[in-house]
Amino acid sequence: MELLTFNHSGYPRIGDSPDEQMLRRAIARHDAGEGTEAEVRAAEDRLILLALEEQHASGLDIFTDGLVRWNDPASHLAGKLQGVRINGLLRFFDTNFYFRQPVICGKVERLGPLVVNEFDWAAKQSTRPVKPVVTGPCTLGHLSICAAGSVTRGDLIMAFAEALATEVAELAAAGARLIQVDEPALLKRPADMALAREALTLIASRKGEAELALATYFGDAAPVYSELQALPVDTLVLDFTYSAELPSLIQNEGSTKRLALGVLDGRNTKIEDESATVRLIEPMLAKVNLARSYLTTSCSLEYLPRDRAQAKLERLTSLKKSLLGEAL
Amino acid sequence: MSRSKLRELGISLPLLPVTSVGSFPKPDTLRKARSDFARGKIGQEELSEAEKSAVNWWIRKQEELGLDVLVDGEMYRGDMVAYFAEQLAGFETGGLVRSYGNRYYHKPIITSKVSGSHPITVEWWRYAQGLTSKPVKGILTGPYTLMDWSFNEYYPTRRDACLALAVEIHREAEALVSAGCKIIQIDEPAISARPQELALATEAMRIVTGGLPAYFITHICYGDFESIYPAMLDLAVDNFDLEMSNSRADMLPLFGKSSFTKDISYGVVDVHSHLVEEPAVVENRLRDGLEVLHCESVWVDPDCGLKTRTVDEAIAKLKAVISAAHALRDEVQQ
Repeated sequence: MELLTFNHSGYPRIGDSPDEQMLRRAIARHDAGEGTEAEVRAAEDRLILLALEEQHASGLDIFTDGLVRWNDPASHLAGKLQGVRINGLLRFFDTNFYFRQPVICGKVERLGPLVVNEFDWAAKQSTRPVKPVVTGPCTLGHLSICAAGSVTRGDLIMAFAEALATEVAELAAAGARLIQVDEPALLKRPADMALAREALTLIASRKGEAELALATYFGDAAPVYSELQALPVDTLVLDFTYSAELPSLIQNEGSTKRLALGVLDGRNTKIEDESATVRLIEPMLAKVNLARSYLTTSCSLEYLPRDRAQAKLERLTSLKKSLLGEAL
Repeated sequence: MSRSKLRELGISLPLLPVTSVGSFPKPDTLRKARSDFARGKIGQEELSEAEKSAVNWWIRKQEELGLDVLVDGEMYRGDMVAYFAEQLAGFETGGLVRSYGNRYYHKPIITSKVSGSHPITVEWWRYAQGLTSKPVKGILTGPYTLMDWSFNEYYPTRRDACLALAVEIHREAEALVSAGCKIIQIDEPAISARPQELALATEAMRIVTGGLPAYFITHICYGDFESIYPAMLDLAVDNFDLEMSNSRADMLPLFGKSSFTKDISYGVVDVHSHLVEEPAVVENRLRDGLEVLHCESVWVDPDCGLKTRTVDEAIAKLKAVISAAHALRDEVQQ
């Protein structure tokens, strides 16, 4: 194994050029009753190809499809499940991005693929391995509305976990070697850690040979670092932008798991100084094997303009080169 | 209600005064003018005339509908953050980022020290106020939201950026007061998103409103109110404009536990739905609120700006707000 770089999850689905605005225009035409569903799908395909091309050009090792087909991280998955309807807008954690809130109106069950077909299509177009991403059961449970007395939060999380476990099994069967479960809610609700363990145990039991990564972000992972280490996943994807202590914590305690170091800020356009970032990472490598680590951004790149998102990916590649050069 | 403060400012309002949050949909003529301006087909003067005409139309419409405190409808603004960022030195226009669904905006980037060289909103406020004898709110985006919804490539910390912006927004508020504006709304929708930074937002608001003889409202929406209530009441304003139609189930129990000690602009219609609520639904939402809030402290309005609705939907929703306020006004006074 070697130090690898990957795209965290989302990638801008718009840019300044006409080609990069194709999806926005297709959706607008569809919403106005002037365009077809097929035209929207074709525009999504084109934007995914652009995202794959830009990840390739950046020199990244592992790609995502940019989550281009996702309306948002909650409704894209929950909206395909039985027992869920989609409600109005709510702010997505502390961002200026809004998601449509799932409302639980019956027994939650998976009716069919959530992202498997999307993964399959992107993997076939890609020059490098593609990492599928799903929103985790705790986050879906946290973002959903349950009518009082209808279902407990714990039961709802386990129902989402059951659906996601089947999804992960199908992703692994479709060839996904690395599968990422996004759980930003875990840092906001550390009291859910026991539930997360139960839910992730179920999901991990269905992952087959795939590597299962848990991504936490939009919060400080340092206070729950030891609990995260105890969760049944292979890899932890960590956001370094909320925590001054996380690097020294990792430097002191190491990691029993493979770590993805989210050291570049996915929510600010400023491109990090390379040598300063190398100085941040190097002490951690004393305890964390460089060959068992990933470099990534703190979160999805969809919060950035397209040119800055690509610049962040390029910085990941240059960081990798610097670190490998120094390590060698 | 801080009626004594309003009286000192020369403003007399009825029980349950009706207002709106700030933005209204742009009429088709203005949309076309903005599009023509972007394509270079018309100049700034022609665009400004179209904007003034739209402000005039909305002022007349609000008077006709019977609102008590008016707004200019923000006909000259695109985005609430970008509008101020475009007028302040220190910002650059960033690329497009997604807000939700298929909506995108140009998120500004702070690239150097922020500073203002001229009043940003005063002429528009003066124009709108000149069209009516009813009070028109001055509406500014707050420093915390300007900071949080911009990228920061210059200031070492979020706090540094926020406090620098607070000084500039104070200057703008001061200019509004000097022009005669008595009611100023500081929009801070981002405040409820990071509870751990409420102290910073409070410090910034103190700078914005400090020493100014005006009635201050702050609009906060779509966030984690459970984490910031009742501490948010320390914000140096007289009135909190909240999206109660959307979040009253969460908020009213909190008000029951710890009294709401300021005035409230109580949102009673959902601005993100095409559906216009039935009168009984809107009245019941307001009635729920009046069970835990003192009626003298309550203003009534939509949850948020109406700019994402059509003109017809916005008017229908304003009518629903007014109808509910008047019905409850009668009920309370009986």
